[in-house]
Parts: sequence; C-alpha cells; structure tokens
Amino acid sequence: MKSLKQLLKQPLKHVSLRVTLTLFVVALLGFVDAAYLTIEHFQGKIPPCTVGGCEAVLTSTFSTIAGMPVSLGGAIYYLILLIGIFAYFDLKNPSILKWTLALSIPAFILSMWFVVVQLFILRSICIYCMGSAITTTILFALTMWIYHTHRAPELEITS
Amino acid sequence: MNTKRIIFWICFIIVLILIVWGLIVAMNKPATTVGALSTPPEVTAADHVLGTSTAPITVIEYSDFQCPACGIFYPTVEKFIKEASSTVRFVYRHYPLPQHANAPLAAQAAEAAGKQGKFWDMYHLLFENQKDWSELPDISARQIFAGYASKIGLNTAQYTTDLDGAEGKLKIRTDYQDGAAIGVNSTPTFFANGKAVNISQPNYEIFKAAIEAAAQTRIP
Repeated sequence: MKSLKQLLKQPLKHVSLRVTLTLFVVALLGFVDAAYLTIEHFQGKIPPCTVGGCEAVLTSTFSTIAGMPVSLGGAIYYLILLIGIFAYFDLKNPSILKWTLALSIPAFILSMWFVVVQLFILRSICIYCMGSAITTTILFALTMWIYHTHRAPELEITS
Repeated sequence: MNTKRIIFWICFIIVLILIVWGLIVAMNKPATTVGALSTPPEVTAADHVLGTSTAPITVIEYSDFQCPACGIFYPTVEKFIKEASSTVRFVYRHYPLPQHANAPLAAQAAEAAGKQGKFWDMYHLLFENQKDWSELPDISARQIFAGYASKIGLNTAQYTTDLDGAEGKLKIRTDYQDGAAIGVNSTPTFFANGKAVNISQPNYEIFKAAIEAAAQTRIP
C-alpha cells in the first residue's frame, strides 16, 4: 500500500468516461444538497422543528464558521470538483483530475468530523448533512480507487 | 480555444446557474404542508391565554420550549403580542417533540408555574435562556428550572410537587394529542382564527402579514 504522498506524486493514467461521469454526477448531487442548505441559510429561513428534522444541527454553533454556513464551504468544494472534472473532460489532462480529486481527502476528514458532531455532540441528525457526508465518502472512495488503479507506470531510471 | 469548447463551457456554466436558480425558485414556493392542517380545538379555560376573548384575532401557537426555531420566533411573537394586544388573543399550547429530551420537563415547569399564576413568567425565562438548559441532563435541567421558579417568586415547595404532578402532564399530553390529531408535525405551528399560518421567517412584518392573511383581518 503506497503512502498518500507517493500516490499524489505519481501521475495518473486516463480515467474512463464512465468513471468521470460517475464522479461528475456524485459531485453534482453533493453540490445541489450543499447549495440548498446555503440558500436556506442566506434566505433567513428557520427550519421548523420536526421529528428527525435538521433544526438542532442547522441552528447549532457548529453550523457556522465566522458567520458563514459550513454548507457554503461544501458548496464551494463540490463546485471546484465539478469544474475540475469538467476541465478534465475537456482537456483530457489526468493531472487536473488528480489534483482536483485530492480535495476529496480533506473534505472526507472534515465530513467525518461533522458526522461525529451530529452523532455524539449534538445527538441529532440532519438528513441533508448526512447526504453530503455520503457523497463526500463516495467521492473519497472513488478517488482512492482511481489513485490505486490508474497509476501511470513508473519510469525506471537506468544508468 | 475553439468555438466548440467555448460552447461546451458556456453550457456547463448555464447548467450550474439553472440548478441554483431552480433551487431558489423551489424554496420560495409556499409550503404545501400547512394546507393539510385542520382547525385546532376551541380555546378553553385550561389554555394559557394572553389578551381578551373579544379580540377579533385568536392566534394559537403549538410550540416546544426546546425547539430552536420556536426560540428564534419567540422575540417576534413577543413583539407581536405587545403591538397587537388590542386585536389579538394569543394562546400557547405544548407540542414537545420526541428528539428534545428536556422539552417535556420544560413544559412541566411552565405548567407548575401556571398553577401559581405565573405560566408566562416561566415561559419567558425558558425561551430567553433556552441555550442554557437544552443540552443538559435531566437532573441539571431540573436544577436550572428550580432556579427560575425561585427567580419568579414561586412557592418552591409547591412548584417541586407540581413539577411532576399528573395535572400538568395531562395538560401537556392533551395539547400534544390535539395537535397531532389536527396534523401538527412541526414547531412552531401557528393558527390564526383556526387557519394554519404559512410562515417560515421570524421577520416581524412578514409574521404580521402572514397572521393577517390567515385570519383575513387587518391588524391596525
């Protein structure tokens, strides 16, 4: 098993259209989810308290950082991913995809932290936040799979 | 960059803009769930009421003391009650949601205070300090509520007896069951003259207009 540093150093081979489309669709779902929560925040709408509702999570101190909703960060992350995947689609340069997908690693770690916050600190679950955690996890898993299975052959240096 | 690629990128940007625009439009549509609510039961002597029975508008709120949305609406409701006191009668009914562990106890504290004629004093303290007790274990919440009872001048021995008394619990259960029977499934849910109020923003003017629209009566 190669270290993350080694994986990031190594160039990637081309990724099939099917895998690229899968990445795009998952990132698009994540974007819609995060954009929905961000718009709701800026519209000043208060999610009512319902059984299994999001209000405890979305009104908690964990839902904003310096006045900005966490979902805005999520929406920007998914947007960068969409642009990167689209750019790869256009330019066919695997290093664009490699560096774009590298973002899914910190995103996954952050997402797991927010799942811990929901389950163990707030003891309340927001279905939209869990939806984003699922898309982030799928993107992270696909990234790891691509990094491991689409490595370009290493150059052998011979004297 | 050739024309084909420019079109390719423009389409991509247009699709993203359409998604965001579609979300905004969809989210601005009025909620349809409000229409499914039936008329709440008539106001009785058991209810907690502010204002006179001759007021042309009766506003009933189904609420939960631990619900953050109810806490956010609280200052708006307060302002509304003060400014429209001559035309509005306000009724508070309990709807403690199962995910709010301290909500039933908070409702019991309000009922216990109500037994000594100080329901609204406890109501104010519970909402104004909602964040202080919401996430506490039961025993700590009890201590905080006992502090509120002292602060508003209740007979604390009587309050302690009434806190877990059957009468208060029955009132809370009745409110909850009545609410559930008419289709209440979230808090806060407001009714004006028996009609469900479609409101999702705690802005005072929007709130007042929504009450007027539901009651079909202007508030001067």
